[in-house]
Amino acid sequence: MIWYLFIPLAPYLLWLVYAAGFFPLPLTYNWRSIWQRWAGTLSTVGAIAIVVMVFVVVLSMAQGVSTAYVRSGRDDQVVILRANSRVEMMSTLTLDQGRLISTHPLIARDEVGPLVTTDLIVSKQVALADGSGALSVTVRGTTAGGIRMRSQVRMLRGRWFQPGLSEAVVPQKMLNRYTGVELGKTFPMAGRFWKVVGVFDGDGSVFDSEIWTDVADLRQAYRRFSANSSMVVRLRSARDVPAFISDMEKDVRLKLEAKAEPDYFADLGDAGRPMQILGQIITVILTIGAVFAAMNTMYATVAGRTPEIGTLRAIGFRRREILASFQWEAILLTGLGGVLGAGLSLLFNGTRTGTVNMNTWSDVSYAFAVTPSLMGQGVAFSILMGIAGGFLPAWRASRIPVTEAMRG
Amino acid sequence: MKFISLVLRSLFRNTRRTVLTVLSLAVSVFLIALLQSLLGTMDSLTTSTASGTRFVVQDKASFTNTIPLAYSNFIRQQPEVEAFTAFQWFGGEYKDPKNFFANFAVDPETYLQVYREEANLASIPPVQVKDFLRDGNGCIVGRTLADKFGWKVGDVVPLKSPIFNLTLRLNIRIIFTGKRNSDEMFLAFHIKQLQEAVPWMKGRAGAFTVRARNPIDIPRLCERIDSHFANSAQETLSITENAFNLNMMKMLGDYSTMVHSISAAVLVAILIVTANTMAMAIRERTTQISTMRALGFRSGQILSLLMAEGLLLSLLGSGLGIFMAMAAASAAAKVGGEILPWMADFIITPETLFLCMLLTLGLGLLSTFVPAYRASRRPITEGLRSL
Repeated sequence: MIWYLFIPLAPYLLWLVYAAGFFPLPLTYNWRSIWQRWAGTLSTVGAIAIVVMVFVVVLSMAQGVSTAYVRSGRDDQVVILRANSRVEMMSTLTLDQGRLISTHPLIARDEVGPLVTTDLIVSKQVALADGSGALSVTVRGTTAGGIRMRSQVRMLRGRWFQPGLSEAVVPQKMLNRYTGVELGKTFPMAGRFWKVVGVFDGDGSVFDSEIWTDVADLRQAYRRFSANSSMVVRLRSARDVPAFISDMEKDVRLKLEAKAEPDYFADLGDAGRPMQILGQIITVILTIGAVFAAMNTMYATVAGRTPEIGTLRAIGFRRREILASFQWEAILLTGLGGVLGAGLSLLFNGTRTGTVNMNTWSDVSYAFAVTPSLMGQGVAFSILMGIAGGFLPAWRASRIPVTEAMRG
Repeated sequence: MKFISLVLRSLFRNTRRTVLTVLSLAVSVFLIALLQSLLGTMDSLTTSTASGTRFVVQDKASFTNTIPLAYSNFIRQQPEVEAFTAFQWFGGEYKDPKNFFANFAVDPETYLQVYREEANLASIPPVQVKDFLRDGNGCIVGRTLADKFGWKVGDVVPLKSPIFNLTLRLNIRIIFTGKRNSDEMFLAFHIKQLQEAVPWMKGRAGAFTVRARNPIDIPRLCERIDSHFANSAQETLSITENAFNLNMMKMLGDYSTMVHSISAAVLVAILIVTANTMAMAIRERTTQISTMRALGFRSGQILSLLMAEGLLLSLLGSGLGIFMAMAAASAAAKVGGEILPWMADFIITPETLFLCMLLTLGLGLLSTFVPAYRASRRPITEGLRSL
């Protein structure tokens, strides 16, 4: 959205680009000038670097949440839920409905059988490793098909659960934040004891926030004998998705709702919205502050170089050339801060933390995702700061009367 | 004190620079005050005094599970229990999922007893209470919520819950005025509605709220209840209402670390900016300062004059920032309260004001000390050479 801010500025920017190429005052002049007053330059660069860093890091959190959801879906898979239930946890799907759906001709098969899974979703309080309490974590009962269908999930240590033995597997990334679910440990849930027999990796998807176990075991423990939560099916090709969805919705026996997996997860990915909004508000406020600081530095630069400007004008440089030159100097100054800030934000890339998904009331673990696009936006912001903070001082520099300026 | 006009004069020697610095300071303090107050407002929800006498009994495995109402027989028999109620989160949506507000199915009579302070029971006309208890479709609504949608007593509110796949049409019987605005973003109706419509809710509830006669009894009571149900099919977890709220807040993520880190980063940034301004202001006046010292000002006096200037600068900036934050907070409470219920109580807390004053003091002193000290120690002859 920041790019829209550049649209009204486009003519001015084009003129600046033209000025950089064709006006006689070279950019190296500005580059050297900013280091003449290195203390002022460094302080402005530092302040802007911090602002840009805060911007990129906060938005990288929101990005991290949606990345976790984007990684969870496959184009050729469809999630089937009870109509109007939005999330798996709120949905119910009977065993009969499940059997009926798995005979659909568009469903893909592998050597074992049709690629379908019926899952049961519950949640469980798991104690945090830092001893500060417990959070609600999603527990997914799934099938052997479900494991094969989530291709991003891979077993790291131990083995997958076996049906009938009350066994569970946990994601590696959960072990850093939670305790009591380590490999080999046993935890109570729904009146049974469950043994952790494996540790898996979900490659940054939402499955990194879920404990997995056998669906039939979980169903029995929770005494839900005839219904699961949801179903996921893989189709022969992603092109079949619309046809399959319309078949599901037309079938009056089912009264179910089908969604392509990427759409389903995209709807859930708005768990990062509060952070995104907070990040944008913070950025707008900080940007205003940074513009004032940049303006201050540029005014000081212009004041300090008044005789120099007078000399430039006296030897024939035109007003607009001075204007462009000082404007470029401001952009160099803030842009330097922006690049530094974007670089510093990389230090936070990959930090793992969690937030609640308001739709499921369960914890979602995610990693800060500092993407090139976010860093680019950060630098773009710093350039905007340079334009906003540098224009008035540059304008003033170009308007200083020659005689007065030479007098000092 | 007699030098106050001198300090003011020096501060506004370069008006534009001072104004720009004050503005960038103000904006940063504005942000810090808002963020810290946001945190303070969230914390205040977990330290409510009225909820000190209450605790929640929920399923041990997850608060999304239901527990049998039969459990209440044991709990009610405990001598320390004053009142007891059962509730279930309904998650109903009014017209659009975006119109989010808290709504619960509750046991109406006991509910009003347990939450009599929040609902301000004494101020509700007895006839309305009677209507609410008698009407199986009746509901009780907070004032703020009612105002948001323009509801009046007697209106019918359709609520559609995706959790239960159920739509209820509820009659508003009571509109209550609570102590805090956040208590009023709330709707409750008869749990019978849910138990009759949803087979698996029969004889069950999401959780119980228990009110103890004396807060001292709560830990003992919690332990007794939990150990009583320890080996049953569904074990219970009893925690105080404040701890329950704290857990909810914690689920949002580690916002306090985030807010503190951002505040610290912003502080470093404004420290740099202010220090730069003061350094510029002092460097420009080298000659002036040397002249003053030649006239007989001692270096300690010079130092304190310059420090006073720096303090005044940061005081102006943060004063303006706090003023803006207070104005923004009341606006945010109005707008934000409609999205997030607890935002309705958003104010700049006294703790935040105190913190900002401390920060200002530190900022003014830190940013000015180095350049001021150097200026006050510089040999007079050297300073006068450039005259």
